[in-house]
Amino acid sequence: MNTMTSRERVMSSLNHQPVDRLPVISVCQHATYDQMEQLNSSWPEAFHDASLMAKLASGAHSILGFDAVRVPFCQTHEAEAFGAVLKYGGKTGLPSVNIHPYHIGDNVDFPNDFLSRGRIPALLEAIRILKRDYGDKVIVMGGVIGPFSIASLLFEVTDFLKATFKKPNDLIPYIELGERAGTMLAKAMIEAGADVICVEDMMASMDMISPKIYRNLAWEYEKKQVEALNVPVIIHICGKVDPIIVDIAKTGCGAISVESNVNVPEALDKFKLEGIKTPIAGGVDPVKTLFTGQPEDVKGEAREAISKGYSIISPGCAVPPATITANLIAMVDTVNE
Amino acid sequence: MSQEILDRLKQGVIDYDEDAVSDAANEALAQNVNPHSAVFDGLVPGMVEVGRLYEEQEYFVPEMLMCADAMYAGLNILKPHMSKKEGASRGVVVMGVVQGDVHDIGKNIVRMMFDASGFEVHDLGRDVPLDKFVEEQLKTDSDMVCLSAMMTTTMVGMKEIIEKIKEKNPKCKIMIGGAPVTSDIASRWGADGYARDANNALKDAINMIASLKSIS
Repeated sequence: MNTMTSRERVMSSLNHQPVDRLPVISVCQHATYDQMEQLNSSWPEAFHDASLMAKLASGAHSILGFDAVRVPFCQTHEAEAFGAVLKYGGKTGLPSVNIHPYHIGDNVDFPNDFLSRGRIPALLEAIRILKRDYGDKVIVMGGVIGPFSIASLLFEVTDFLKATFKKPNDLIPYIELGERAGTMLAKAMIEAGADVICVEDMMASMDMISPKIYRNLAWEYEKKQVEALNVPVIIHICGKVDPIIVDIAKTGCGAISVESNVNVPEALDKFKLEGIKTPIAGGVDPVKTLFTGQPEDVKGEAREAISKGYSIISPGCAVPPATITANLIAMVDTVNE
Repeated sequence: MSQEILDRLKQGVIDYDEDAVSDAANEALAQNVNPHSAVFDGLVPGMVEVGRLYEEQEYFVPEMLMCADAMYAGLNILKPHMSKKEGASRGVVVMGVVQGDVHDIGKNIVRMMFDASGFEVHDLGRDVPLDKFVEEQLKTDSDMVCLSAMMTTTMVGMKEIIEKIKEKNPKCKIMIGGAPVTSDIASRWGADGYARDANNALKDAINMIASLKSIS
């Protein structure tokens, strides 16, 4: 039944063209302990070593049968390059920012050597390897963090969130820096071979801020970033993005990745009224279904997602690393039914 | 007169106006308003309203954090003047973010609701080793332990903590929360409650401790 290659399928979908079946990708991280074992590439080494990173990411194609592979696994490269101190989670956990490097009001300079800082060179090298080894079969996706979210990682989150309300103008220089950093990284990824850029703007979520703050402090910079990149950009924002989903589409992004609690049929109705054709990716709940469910649960939810009008089937957020392989494969089985 | 001050305390919290709350709290003391009443009939109803506004998506996290600052401004002035008996807690709670996880914003909001509502809170902070929860529960003989995790990688540690605490003290109630946690996981891992958000955490906690006290 499959008459398209993975590459054709994803690109057609992002260009609003017909597909032989819906593409299955993971917009956010997709490494699992199962894949680590099978591929003989594990955390934490795979966070640092380009070939191990590429090897682990390749599991999305070789083990799961997804239409795209994606790096990185964590959300800390940009913040680390700005001087954030990370805390590593050993073999099982993702690194996260432990010490935020700045206080609001500090002068933050953009590091000239940004692309050679921290683990960014390894990340870019991993993309080169993925492109070389899998680029003729699947889409290679590079993940960067959204401008608002990079800015948030520079400071204690509580101070940052209060400032979004009390002194939003004070944050603008930092969000501009975030945009510059993410765009620079994304451009380097594209040069290294990335076909698609995923922008995770997780702090621009309604779990964190209001639609008004999103419109004032996040939207404009997402849009600027999308416009600066010459490949399709998938924007991922966690949580119930219903009130801002039309805004996200108006950044000009290639697709929007959402969690399962978003009302997608309603969003598509709103799109129709505005003449928006942006595809929506997601449909499978990473915790409730992938992590704690069984393949039949995954199939049920994926079928529902297809009927709701999702254009790309993807976990709604990062895949929990303890997810069993059979559950991820069930996503692909469903679109092939 | 005193009702007017209580209203100002409440409104100051809702309007996240630290100065207004501090002024009202100082005036409450100057005019001999019962400090216990100032907290429970002024600040707490304010926070309850904030919780409602949050649920209705009128307020978001930034507003809630600022309301918390206003509430603490009042609490810090009033608390030293509450008599021991009046200040008697509704329950003792141990809380923290589990090992490997440094995301503590949700935990801090829940803590604020507990503080406001008169619980004795032992906050272990973030990235807390699993055994520390068990130790602290035994040391404080707390009625409840609240565990928070923001990452799908760290939430799995909760299971072990729940087992250990239940083994040492089956009566202790355990509530878990955080972005990746679901009610299904909570019941599967043997937790007594699951907190979708701060408001629910508080309501659940009050119910759980009430049930605990009625059986003991």
